[in-house]
Amino acid sequence: MKRATLHSAPGPILVAMLLCALPVLAAARVGEAAPEFTSVASNGKTVHLSDYRGKYVVLEWHNNGCPFVRKQYNSGNMQRLQKHWTGQGVIWFTILSSAPGKQGYATASEENDFLAKEQAAPTAALLDPDGVIGHLYDAKTSPHMFVINPQGVVIYDGAIDDKPTTDVNDVPGAKNYVSLALEQAMTGKPVETAATRPYGCSVKYSDATH
Amino acid sequence: MCAAAARAESAPIPHGTLELVPENPWIAAQSILTPGVATGRMAGGHTFNVGLRFQLEKGWHIYWINPGDSGEPARVEWKLPAGLTAGPIEWPTPRRLASGSIVDYGYEGAVLLIVPLHADASLASQSAARLGAEIRLLVCSHEMCIPAKAALSLTVPVKAQAPVPDATTVAWFAAARKSMPRPPSQNWRFNATEDEDFFVLTAELGHPITQTVFFPLVESQIENAAPQTLVPRASGFRLTLRKSNQLLASVARLKGVLVVSGDRTPGDGTNQDRAYVIDVPVRKAGATKHLEDGDRSVK
Repeated sequence: MKRATLHSAPGPILVAMLLCALPVLAAARVGEAAPEFTSVASNGKTVHLSDYRGKYVVLEWHNNGCPFVRKQYNSGNMQRLQKHWTGQGVIWFTILSSAPGKQGYATASEENDFLAKEQAAPTAALLDPDGVIGHLYDAKTSPHMFVINPQGVVIYDGAIDDKPTTDVNDVPGAKNYVSLALEQAMTGKPVETAATRPYGCSVKYSDATH
Repeated sequence: MCAAAARAESAPIPHGTLELVPENPWIAAQSILTPGVATGRMAGGHTFNVGLRFQLEKGWHIYWINPGDSGEPARVEWKLPAGLTAGPIEWPTPRRLASGSIVDYGYEGAVLLIVPLHADASLASQSAARLGAEIRLLVCSHEMCIPAKAALSLTVPVKAQAPVPDATTVAWFAAARKSMPRPPSQNWRFNATEDEDFFVLTAELGHPITQTVFFPLVESQIENAAPQTLVPRASGFRLTLRKSNQLLASVARLKGVLVVSGDRTPGDGTNQDRAYVIDVPVRKAGATKHLEDGDRSVK
């Protein structure tokens, strides 16, 4: 759908210019290949998404000060999901796209402290202060969740669950779209709800990247 | 009891204040008992309006009923005496709050949300009504979001004589009502079609329109950050709205608030932005539709 903003097939130079100016054009879409990225994790390792072809990958957009994210961590729900799914062989990346000075920005050591304090268990926390991965996936909110299948195709894009509030009491009764997508895909079923409106705080991107 | 008139009560919220403002300083018993008086909507009843007035520091905002790409609208839980029932919040026309690829719908500065409270006859015999409101909201800037809770209460006397509102309150409510979307003129015609990627809203209003903004009432119908392409036409306009990426189910009706700039309302004489509530059935675009309208600039 995003590509439809181009009126006609442009030459390669124009495409390159547009991609630089508007990275959103390459945004992830359900049913299409997940855009490749390389990132440095808070544990110091370099992560290439393509290294995880053959596994399910969950992307979790994160901002540790956002009330919608606090709801998931204070209730222990996000940690439970991370532990449960990484225990099933799923790769889980928590991604920090907040710019320096904005809510949710963390240095590697601050993020490691956060992971330890919260007993969080993602495969890795990826530091994206320039918002490059965020814009590549058109991540709008924290949390905004994506699920990628072993073939590298996006199979879920949207909210973490069906209760768009900041209230911890809404966690127990919520329908978790990430778990549903993983359960359905792993048992060979089509993902019933493959796209929803992500809810939360807007991703606090750097002003320089848009 | 000792309160001669209800006065607004205020509470701090992050980067601002919130006041619970009664439109009138007391409820007139006579208007509760007389059907059709004042703004009463229920037979034998009366509507007493209260306002939630937010005042936010520069750079901070709260959200419309559809917050757009992020955020959360304010929610109110009322604690009211028997005889009073709260209606839904009346939301003034919001603004587009853009932050890069994210577009939210909300309010900056000062905004008054009006809540109608319906009073029935049983209230006329009371001496006062205590109104309690618990408000939950999210206050955001482009840098951060802060959740807030406020508990406010007011005791509104019930008196025999007609109330005398103060000038400031009158001005606040008048300004809020001016910015409320209204029903469009009976003579106007709206039409909505869709193809794979777009909704096209056409309007026949009797004169050309050069600027509009559409605010979808329902989340995830349109791509909030996408440009809304307007083509003025002799008797109205044609507006192209990109469908949301999250839209998987089909949309039967396009509902929302349409802000029309420079609308020349007969008898008014001024050129200003006016907001209308629209609710238009959506039909599939015919194969020849785009050419038929003599306009090739949209697609």
